[in-house]
Amino acid sequence: MIRGIDAGLATCHNCELVVRMRDGDAHAEADCPRCHASVRFRKRNATTYVIALLVAALALYFPANALTIMYTEQFPERRADTILSGVKFLWERGSWGLAMVVFTASILVPVVKLCALGFLVVSATRRSAWHPRARTRLYRALEVVGHWSMLDVFVVALLTAVVQLGQFARVTPGPAVLPFAGVVILTMLASASFDARAIWDRGVRE
Amino acid sequence: MRCVTCNSPLYRSNGDLGAMLAVTVTATVALVIANALPLVTVTSAGHQTRATLWQAIAASYDSELPFVAITLTLTLLVAPAIELGLLLWLLVPLCARSRPLAFLSMMGLLRTLRPWRMVEVFFLGVIVAVVKLSVLATVLPGWGMFGVAVMALALASLSSFDQGALWRRAREVAS
Repeated sequence: MIRGIDAGLATCHNCELVVRMRDGDAHAEADCPRCHASVRFRKRNATTYVIALLVAALALYFPANALTIMYTEQFPERRADTILSGVKFLWERGSWGLAMVVFTASILVPVVKLCALGFLVVSATRRSAWHPRARTRLYRALEVVGHWSMLDVFVVALLTAVVQLGQFARVTPGPAVLPFAGVVILTMLASASFDARAIWDRGVRE
Repeated sequence: MRCVTCNSPLYRSNGDLGAMLAVTVTATVALVIANALPLVTVTSAGHQTRATLWQAIAASYDSELPFVAITLTLTLLVAPAIELGLLLWLLVPLCARSRPLAFLSMMGLLRTLRPWRMVEVFFLGVIVAVVKLSVLATVLPGWGMFGVAVMALALASLSSFDQGALWRRAREVAS
């Protein structure tokens, strides 16, 4: 197996052109002949960015799950739902399929994403040789599912709007909406900052 | 075509710019439908209301959380509308074998914008909202939902095209 960096070849992050690097040094930088973006073997300071964004996302994760995401008022009832109790509500109403979808998108995906990205960035930085192919597949899966967690934000916004227009009850977004959307956006940025090529740098010193 | 080392897709065989333009036009029509027609019709105590996407955004702006309204606007209106505008800007000249104006910046913007459109997530969100609302009122999906569904499918299909085909055609045209 030969890596692009061994052959002096790097892919442009912008237009995906494979560029022959004049300088074989690991930190070499070139101008993409096709789109003029800066081409490097590896993204610069990727580890630092990913870890910083993950820590920020983790900090928002707790308020996002503990606080109320939505208040529903229909006289004389008033209920306050967290993300988890919203799933429970769907489950108890018999919408098991939908409850599973919401549980996966809102609870499972953010946790898995935080843990998996943390694992990927640590193992890549330590130049681990542990199943690089499986780790690459894990990364690609994370990129696909990442934005589905925004589901609950859309649901709350839609409910607020429709109910407000219909005037038969009152739905208000709770304080958890902001940190929840923050977790989704920060983990999306974190996974975009990660350089999957670094997974293959086992036993190679800079 | 997949990488022999890590099995990630390297490039796709689907690089037909004419087909890509056709899907872009479909998505643009769907975008107009999704924005103009009501997403859901709600009936409660004999009172009927229709909610469009714009009303949903306006209502979330009124309800103390403008941040939510901004997220909705960016992910559901701005990102898909600019993406389709960019694709039309790029594909119409490329299909007619001339180089689009500001080709490099438009391609860069297209790549930056793509991850932030979430029309398909919104579609699922409408379904969840409809089920949750059915406790309080009778809710029926409207034609706007159909527009959202078609737009989600068309946008997903657009990302499955080989983006390198745009770069290759631009180079052919330039030389």
